[in-house]
Amino acid sequence: MNAERYAQALAVAPHALRSPWGRRVGRILLTILAAAIFLAMCADLELAPATLFSGFDKLGRLAATAIPPSDGGDLLRILQSLGETFAMAFAGTVLATLMALPLGVLGAKTVVRQPVLHFALRRVLDWFRGVPALVWALILVSAFGLGPFGGVIALALADAPNLAKLFSEAIENCDEKPMDGARAAGVSPLMVMRFGLAPQVAPVMASQVLFFLEGNFRNAAVLGIVGAGGIGFELEERIRVFAFDQAAFIILLYMVGVAMLDAFSQKLRAKLA
Amino acid sequence: MPAQASIVAEFESVRRTTLRRQRLHALAGLLIFSAVLLVSFQRSQFFSSDIGGDPLGRIAIFLDRMIPDLKPEALFEGRRTAGSLAWWFYDLPVWLRLGWQTVEMALVATVIGAVGGVAASLLCARNLMPIAAVRFTVRRMLEAIRTLPDLILALMLVAAFGVGPLAGVITLAISTMGSLGKLFSEINEEVDPRQLEALEAAGAGISGKIRYGVIPQVLPNYASYVLIRLEGNLAGAAALGIVGAGGIGIELQRAITYTEFDTYLAILLLIVGMIFLIDMASEAIRHRLIGLKGAR
Repeated sequence: MNAERYAQALAVAPHALRSPWGRRVGRILLTILAAAIFLAMCADLELAPATLFSGFDKLGRLAATAIPPSDGGDLLRILQSLGETFAMAFAGTVLATLMALPLGVLGAKTVVRQPVLHFALRRVLDWFRGVPALVWALILVSAFGLGPFGGVIALALADAPNLAKLFSEAIENCDEKPMDGARAAGVSPLMVMRFGLAPQVAPVMASQVLFFLEGNFRNAAVLGIVGAGGIGFELEERIRVFAFDQAAFIILLYMVGVAMLDAFSQKLRAKLA
Repeated sequence: MPAQASIVAEFESVRRTTLRRQRLHALAGLLIFSAVLLVSFQRSQFFSSDIGGDPLGRIAIFLDRMIPDLKPEALFEGRRTAGSLAWWFYDLPVWLRLGWQTVEMALVATVIGAVGGVAASLLCARNLMPIAAVRFTVRRMLEAIRTLPDLILALMLVAAFGVGPLAGVITLAISTMGSLGKLFSEINEEVDPRQLEALEAAGAGISGKIRYGVIPQVLPNYASYVLIRLEGNLAGAAALGIVGAGGIGIELQRAITYTEFDTYLAILLLIVGMIFLIDMASEAIRHRLIGLKGAR
């Protein structure tokens, strides 16, 4: 590109070749500011190279004790807790689905045609969508005592608002015509839902529920940490006493279990689609 | 019309067998489902745990204990007056400080995790990394990270790094890297090669190609995923304190230890409000990014 052509291009479209000075300085200042804020936050969190190195050094030494993994002579109990964890995940997902169904139907714009009510319901669901299952589990265990009961309820409470949101979106996205057809045939509103709505949304919902089930299989292990039953309790006990070989055994077993259930659920999901 | 009658009869019989088969399948599915459900509820001691029966009654009692007895006439009195808002949120400065720490943890971990995710995604994208062995290894590593629940990782890191926010930040950074690395590599693989060819034809070098060909294509999608992940990390950081990995979770744990259920609700409301604010901010940024992308 020669100088003459460059000048020509500059005259036609100055900002394509050069940012204005003000914007360039502003961008540099913004970058410096962002970097300064980030470093200040790191300092506040004690994130320094020295502590990182010593921590990772210790982690490496702990990881070395994890080889070879051993079941610690407690295989039966571990397998039982593993079963309990997966049972909790399944029961929790089913409960969440049962709670989410009415909420999802009410949250759909096409069903509740009252904007104020619809808005309020959506907002309430939004508020509780972010609360992790563990936070629910902590208080439920304290209310109901140690054991998987609190864990099941915690999973249900954490998933229900999220599922409800997805359900109501599925209902809003479906075609109105089959429902109109059913209405034109003169059947009751319940039957309109059964024959106009359900055939459209049921496969979508089922696939979403399976997706959450997979997530719960993966996350139910953490509930045991606060005493809500299952494998997490065994795991925490062993990590607390630095029995990392047994912890590694449990984690590996858990990963294999999750992978198997995942494969099964994915197969089921592919069949639905 | 005997021919027509036989056709109708045949149709009816086929319909009957199809219906019967469908019903049989549905029945078998229902039976399997109920069996699994029954076993699950039994294994998880849902109706027979040592809390006694009547789970619904229990929930009612516990909800009742969670709601503070605020008095309408003393709502705006000071901290000492029982029944006022300040009395309910009695430790607000500490909670706000820990809440800010939670936000910091989420932000720092998201930045570190996103940088790690970009690096990992470059190593496992089919169109950018020619060596298959490297791609395979990085992918399996990312998968392993994604399978491990955050809190279990946090437990191990707390054992190594000690109690404090550092273990939480590293936990979140690692899990962010695991999920973003995969998503980013998918974005990288969808980069339109024609724009790169056009730049090459115009005489751009490798840095020019990345600057004007790759970054404009991937950046809006990257940013959108990073912001979604930030929201998730904030919720995650709020829970991490329960295992001693920093953030507001430690106060939740403390409230439970002293069985202050109404305090628990207060902190829970703070967390929910915090997540809600960050959600709104990140949604606003995301919409702006998408809008810019559309205008371009």
